[in-house]
Amino acid sequence: MAGAPGQLLRPRQAVEPGRGLRRDQLIRPAVIAVLLLFTLFGLPSLLSLYYIDTMTQVAIYSVVTLGLGVLVGRVGLFSLGQGAVLAIGAWSGARLLFATGQPFPLVLVEAGLVTMVIGMVIGLPALRLRGLYLALITLMLAGAITVVLASTNFPNGGGGFLGYNGSSVHIPPIRRPSIASGDPAYFRYCVVIAIVMFGLVFAHIRTRPGRAWAAIRQSEPAALAAGINTTFYKLWAFALASFVTGVAGAALAGADRYLYSIDFTTQDSITLMAVVLMGGAYSMWGAVVAAFLLEFLPALLNNWGVSADWLYILFGLGVLQVLTTAPAGLADQVPKDLRRLWRLARRLFSRPASRPAVPAGGDAE
Amino acid sequence: MPAWQDFEPFIVSGLALGGVYALSGVGLVVLYRATGVLYLAFGAVGAMGALIAWSMSHAGLPGWAGWVVCVAFGGLVTLGYGMVFGPLLAQRDPLVKAVATLGLTLILFGAMDLLWTTGGGQSRAITLPTDSGGFTVGQVQVNWTQVIALGAGVALTVGTAAFLRFTKLGTAMRAMANDRVITATLGVPVRRVEAAAWLGCGILAGVAGLLLADLVALDATTLTFLVISSLAAALIARLRSIAVTFAAAIAVGLIHDLLTPITALTNYRDMTPFVLAIVALLVMSPRRIMTRSREEA
Repeated sequence: MAGAPGQLLRPRQAVEPGRGLRRDQLIRPAVIAVLLLFTLFGLPSLLSLYYIDTMTQVAIYSVVTLGLGVLVGRVGLFSLGQGAVLAIGAWSGARLLFATGQPFPLVLVEAGLVTMVIGMVIGLPALRLRGLYLALITLMLAGAITVVLASTNFPNGGGGFLGYNGSSVHIPPIRRPSIASGDPAYFRYCVVIAIVMFGLVFAHIRTRPGRAWAAIRQSEPAALAAGINTTFYKLWAFALASFVTGVAGAALAGADRYLYSIDFTTQDSITLMAVVLMGGAYSMWGAVVAAFLLEFLPALLNNWGVSADWLYILFGLGVLQVLTTAPAGLADQVPKDLRRLWRLARRLFSRPASRPAVPAGGDAE
Repeated sequence: MPAWQDFEPFIVSGLALGGVYALSGVGLVVLYRATGVLYLAFGAVGAMGALIAWSMSHAGLPGWAGWVVCVAFGGLVTLGYGMVFGPLLAQRDPLVKAVATLGLTLILFGAMDLLWTTGGGQSRAITLPTDSGGFTVGQVQVNWTQVIALGAGVALTVGTAAFLRFTKLGTAMRAMANDRVITATLGVPVRRVEAAAWLGCGILAGVAGLLLADLVALDATTLTFLVISSLAAALIARLRSIAVTFAAAIAVGLIHDLLTPITALTNYRDMTPFVLAIVALLVMSPRRIMTRSREEA
């Protein structure tokens, strides 16, 4: 990142890093707590049913983008098959919800575990490949899984292993938890799921696996030389991403209530990668931004009567922009740009002549 | 198990499909070797070219004008992308370069959905004049488009191999595939050679789009993501050998179409390229060499 050396040279940050850190440590959790409380208790009463449904999708997809963000941003594994992993999670969740009367949270965990096992079975051989080849083999796997799902269909209350009844007239909806059968309640439920999943990933990033992943991302040979079992930790990342994506899939089954295989396509995996890169794969905020891009923007455009196809163009431009100029995505770029704008404004309005203009240019990337 | 007669027509269509896959696969491999970019927008460019050709013939213009525009569109968009983003991303990982072409794919895909709306259920089709003529082999009807598809695949593979072997530009491309920096030091105009590779690959994308629109379907989504299938052939060749790409493409096309009459597998025949590519990648993946900092095939 081109901005980093310039920032290191700025004296004020270099002299008092302690104060900045302490203030940061207080403010950040407080902001997050306020935001979460507002999302849980304030937001549902402010929104129409349409936007509550949309926000439910945002909450669910933020977990999916979080999983992909871990792979891309933390470990450096580009998976172009996360859309298919989500479909596996949704399938398992729907099947379990139809087949058993187990409590919903248990089904969520089970669907996550099933997806995790499948993800690991797929991931173990795929991890022999690196970089471009890993991305391509996951793309191929996504294509293959999409073909299988197109012919097995999603469970709709039928019998047998597949649970699909092609001729049934009365298709029962996929059930929701009894405490969250209504849309606002299910929204809160999904936010709580997302919080738990974010917590799980946060715990990983802050501890041993997170440090191993960071080492692997920087240089796999160096990580290996440092005694890190790279295959094990890469597989762990795959397992974690598959688990959270599987949980999100089961939550999606409850949110949509009816699942159709045409809704899960190969291009979903590509769009997912695009929004994760745009949102910012290196921070957890990026996952939330990505989910808003993926689910909130289409709903907004739909409400305005604008074709959602514009989003594909926007995402395409976004990917190109991120890869060429802003590798850390919106979650990093927007605050940075705002800070730069603030500095510029302060310089313009307070002491126009006190600083020479030349070093200020050094901040610009 | 169906009788042999049931398979016969699918041999012909399979060979034709394989021919187009070969065309695409060879284009992808040559561009990858010359520039380090895996051009995932190949299908989208071809699809948009084919849709433009369809619109032009729909507006009453002669068919050949549409085909020329389709091929030119493929060449120009690809060349333009290569000129703008090639240098910008030249120092990055092959993975980043490939993902960036997904950005172009999404842009073209969105534009196609906007301009050629699929609502209303009308289906578009491109009919080439070569569809009507043909001959019969045994009891199987073969039309000229199918002959052209296979012929184009063969001609292109042989032609590209000869081009890379015997021409100055081809030698420069092979040199760049080996080492870009050393090639530049030796005085090869790297940018110009790359531009030639981009243009060539784009023209192939246009041709492949036109042929696939006729042989498969003229539909933005289908054609855009058909690149994944043609990519399978290139992957089986580990993005390296043109001859292996050709053989793999023919195999993928044949197996895909030959599964059609088998009732148990017909729903799963679209998995053919993916399964073959996955197996090939896993079986043939070499022992990794950790000491190299650069990702090399």
